[in-house]
Amino acid sequence: MGNAALRDIAVIEEIPFDDIEGVVAVDAHNWLYRYLTTTVKWTNSGKYTTSDGTEVANLIGIVQGLPKFFENDIVPVMVFDGGPSELKDDEIESRREQRRTYEEQLETAREEGDQVAIAQLESRTQRLTPTIQETSRELLRLLDVPIVEAPAEGEAQAAHMVKRGDADYVGSEDYDALLFGSPLTLRQLTSKGDPELMDLEATLAHHELTLEQLIDAAILIGTDFNEGVSGIGPKTAIKAITEHGDLWSVLEARGAHVEYGDRVRQLFRDPNVTDDYEFDTSLDPDLEAAKEYVCEEWAVDADEVARGFERIEEGVTQTGLDRWT
Amino acid sequence: MFKAIVSAATLTSALDSVSVLVDECKIHLEEDGLEIRAVDPANVGMVDLSLDAAAFESYEADGGLIGVDLSRLEDIAGMAESGQLVQLELDEETRKLHIQIDGLEYTLALIDPDSIRQEPDIPDLDLPAEVILEGKDVNRSVKAADMVSDHIALGVKEADEYFYVDAEGDTDDVHLELTQEDLIDLQVGPAHSLFSLDYLKDMNKAIPSDTEVTLHLGEEFPVKIYFGFAEGQGQVTYMLAPRIQSD
Repeated sequence: MGNAALRDIAVIEEIPFDDIEGVVAVDAHNWLYRYLTTTVKWTNSGKYTTSDGTEVANLIGIVQGLPKFFENDIVPVMVFDGGPSELKDDEIESRREQRRTYEEQLETAREEGDQVAIAQLESRTQRLTPTIQETSRELLRLLDVPIVEAPAEGEAQAAHMVKRGDADYVGSEDYDALLFGSPLTLRQLTSKGDPELMDLEATLAHHELTLEQLIDAAILIGTDFNEGVSGIGPKTAIKAITEHGDLWSVLEARGAHVEYGDRVRQLFRDPNVTDDYEFDTSLDPDLEAAKEYVCEEWAVDADEVARGFERIEEGVTQTGLDRWT
Repeated sequence: MFKAIVSAATLTSALDSVSVLVDECKIHLEEDGLEIRAVDPANVGMVDLSLDAAAFESYEADGGLIGVDLSRLEDIAGMAESGQLVQLELDEETRKLHIQIDGLEYTLALIDPDSIRQEPDIPDLDLPAEVILEGKDVNRSVKAADMVSDHIALGVKEADEYFYVDAEGDTDDVHLELTQEDLIDLQVGPAHSLFSLDYLKDMNKAIPSDTEVTLHLGEEFPVKIYFGFAEGQGQVTYMLAPRIQSD
């Protein structure tokens, strides 16, 4: 989910796809989730449900989502989440609770035959099941899209890879990427039109803050890992941090408390990431095998993925003239 | 030594056809005319230009080399009306170019040629198909393709003897066929290559619509685009590397 209030703080601007080149370390769960929800919303579930009732809308989502990278000469590296951070348990629990509510509503909608509500609720109740996790990786492997397994947060790992210079951008909708220190983050890679570029250095310069202070401000507002201090929004948070210097001084001055504040802070400052990854950025997708996997093995309606596969096939690379000299 | 007088229109045409690819370039001041060769930083598009001494009102040079900032020089040339003459003179000692347009005198600081990207080797291409068409048809093809896609396929259908342009977008497609009759000339050969419209659009800007353009094409090979300007006394050859299936 991330913290949408960070949008008011972050320096973000639209960037034409043409201006983006290189490697994007994509927060895979975040990316997949977007395509999963749109696929489920717009596609009849019969097209991606096997005879035993397993839903693999993710396969359609991947085939529709990847061409955008290829067509713009961008190499995506899919960074998958490892285990959730202990601290995120609350968030996960509340999401689960919400999903249960949606599932109940979905039942009711089905009973009442309300098609619009069914479609909406189906997209909200999507989760990354073990089948989705597994088939997504397999399809990406067949398409030769690099995969990196993060020890914990995919976003933190992606940010780490950009910091090390192994990738040029983090691809995530999540504003938290900023807090994990992602120098450049591309948002809206899954939307139509041009993406947004979120710039850490410019953000810090704009507010005259250090990254540590930005993290503290975010903790005051509230993150995926903690409830914020009530009454503190983005503006107040920045002002308070500028005035008092850091989280503890602000809390002291206000007589407020943030549960696990130090651990949340640590989680952003020093997230669990690994240097143990490698990937090859020259891609050689095996389209035949991928098509067979999606349409035969998982019995996805071929019409749903035809255009996507066609676009991947055409999503070819630009050569240099030196090849002919 | 370099001293020349040239019409603003000719100078502008020459500069424009180079500046679509690079910001700075080296200009060879040969005895028989100017020569420029440059490639864009990504090594995808190349220009090879010559402007014969005959294209100038007067021309004297002895084989020097200068480096220029193209947009500065274009701005200066833009100060003249198209019929006006531009007088150029190199000051060897100060390494500055004196430019005179009527009463207007401009002294342009030159760039050290060594600091400019090395000039490219010209690829050795044996391209089987040749298409000669009017600039306006190139114009139309690029414009139509640009409405639907970022790339454009250029090819020749050997059996039916026509040149075609294809562009496929997310939802819409563009297809254009030009037969022998629509073209000035066509020599068929196996040809089909995909190109980035970003580059082709820029190159197209420099192609006059009333000029004759020659395309040399192959199968997944660079395209060579040749046209003349300044009544044929200036020649431009573009080369553009194709996009191909990743391997």
